[in-house]
Amino acid sequence: MNLAFHDVRHHFGRFVATSAVVGLLFTVVLAMAGIYQGLVDDATVLLDRMHADLWVVQRGTRGPFADPSRLDPSLEQRVASVPGVSSARAFTTQVLQRDHGHQQLRFALVGLAFPYDRGDNLSIVQGNAIRQAHGELLADASLGLPVGEVLRLGRDDYRITGLTRQVLASGGDGVVFATIADTQRIIADDSSDALIAERERRLKRLLDTDLGQSQPTLEALAVDPRWTFPSLPAPPIQAVLVNAAPARMEEVRRALGRWSDVTVWTRVEEEQLVLQGMVAKARMQLAVFAAILIVSSSLLLAAVLYNLTLEKAHDIAVLKLLGARATRIVSLVLQQAWATAILGYAIALALGSQAFPHFPRRVVLTEVSVVGVGVLLLVVSTLASVAGVVFALRVDPGPVLES
Amino acid sequence: MEALRAEHIDKRYGEGDTEVWALREVDLVLAAGQIVALLGPSGSGKSTLIKVLGLVTRPDHGDLWMNGERVVADGELVTDVGQLRRSHIGFVFQKANLIPFLNARMNIELACEIGERYVPRHRAKELLEYLGVGHRGSAYPNTLSGGEQQRIAIARALANSPSLILADEPTAALDKERGRSVMELLRRVAHEQGTAVVVVTHDHRSLDVFDAIYQMEDGRLTASPAVASGTPSTPRDPLKWHG
Repeated sequence: MNLAFHDVRHHFGRFVATSAVVGLLFTVVLAMAGIYQGLVDDATVLLDRMHADLWVVQRGTRGPFADPSRLDPSLEQRVASVPGVSSARAFTTQVLQRDHGHQQLRFALVGLAFPYDRGDNLSIVQGNAIRQAHGELLADASLGLPVGEVLRLGRDDYRITGLTRQVLASGGDGVVFATIADTQRIIADDSSDALIAERERRLKRLLDTDLGQSQPTLEALAVDPRWTFPSLPAPPIQAVLVNAAPARMEEVRRALGRWSDVTVWTRVEEEQLVLQGMVAKARMQLAVFAAILIVSSSLLLAAVLYNLTLEKAHDIAVLKLLGARATRIVSLVLQQAWATAILGYAIALALGSQAFPHFPRRVVLTEVSVVGVGVLLLVVSTLASVAGVVFALRVDPGPVLES
Repeated sequence: MEALRAEHIDKRYGEGDTEVWALREVDLVLAAGQIVALLGPSGSGKSTLIKVLGLVTRPDHGDLWMNGERVVADGELVTDVGQLRRSHIGFVFQKANLIPFLNARMNIELACEIGERYVPRHRAKELLEYLGVGHRGSAYPNTLSGGEQQRIAIARALANSPSLILADEPTAALDKERGRSVMELLRRVAHEQGTAVVVVTHDHRSLDVFDAIYQMEDGRLTASPAVASGTPSTPRDPLKWHG
């Protein structure tokens, strides 16, 4: 006869209520694990989706997700000419926050090396890839923008031609893809007043030089909106993404590594840099929070299980007078703890699966985290019932005879 | 046959000025099938004696035999208490103390399972019928009357055909009629099952059911056994054939 089963059945309401409390606590533990995994996924998803073997960035920097990296766009052609390189693409990214209707739209704008890269590799779930060099966007579905929606960015309108799923920047913002030319146009967009102010600064700088004072005719040029110095660089890019045949990867890496103006990271190294840099603190914070939560949940569970055992002290004493072996009494306490844990876990999973999709940050439940939290809960419930077991084994049957 | 023999049992509580003799040089011999009453004022040591006989409390001195086997030697336990309770001792309490989350039948089945002597379901059914509560097997304790609960408790005490039943004021929570009924039931159990039964009681109206009456005072069995109804009946055990 399974005493725990009969006890649970007889006090089913209380059992469910206790399990629900445990379930709520471990829903938060699951959320912690899921948010952490979501952070990792969000931080690396763009790296994955760009399908690059090597990331070439400004010398001494750690890539566009960790450091500001400024490279001349001509680097794309230089890299493409290296023997063994099968493709080289410029990469730019910038987080923008713009008004859209009555709400703020925050997204990461990433440039595609059109026409070589039109976004076909981005797992488009609705619509189609970018088909023209200007005025088209791919947006992540998490931004809630439908295909065909027109965004006013800078001085131009851009139409969304396709939607991707779960392509997020390391900060969790949905990614919008445009051609590199369009991204630079959008990012460099200055207001008229800013342009006028810049021309005035240009004129002042000119007049501060010997050249400007000796050749007054240059003044007209300095404020001419159509005139720029030929030596001014084109808007920079942040990285060049390189693909190479696996057999020649190391050769390409060594060749690029010898260049004095760039640093080369492999896909794995770049991912480690992102995780160590951006996610490390958040991971530590989540881990500390989860640890505190687990400890407090364990203590609460221990208190609950101990109280349940206290309530059964009289019955345990009767069992002892009947000659019940210690294993039967320990089983009663332990099995009830495990039953509470199992139902609590089921409640946590059910609640989580309903609630997590509505969280502002992505919550990713992996098999490891789901199984891990389940095992953790079993371990915690076992440890939590130790106090109850010790109490049960010390129950004195004598008082029952007097009651 | 002797079901129980206690010799020179002493039990003290406290030390120095607070020392109290709960039991002093208690000797008691019970034959199988004999039902005896323990009378005495509160604090006279009746409950302590029941606890010592049930091996719930260890005596300071003295020896105890059950079915001829020595289980306490000069105050020291020399046997497996759990095994003894499973096979030789049944308890009936002031309150029935049934497990509240088990129904009447399961309360008896549980005792059978613990005793590992009978097929629980068959034994429980037989005992319920034997004690006149066969129709209440599926009822939970909180739906049973006090008298029914005590009958179930007696059935549970009988589950493993013990040689000794220790009952501590089993009728204290019952009215006169139900109390009488329970006492008669215990007498019937003793005489039909061959079980020695010790009953602590304050109820002087039912003393006629006992084979012997002992008086306790200040930890001593002061009165000689007064046989109320002659020698014990020849034990019969219509239920033991299932063993």
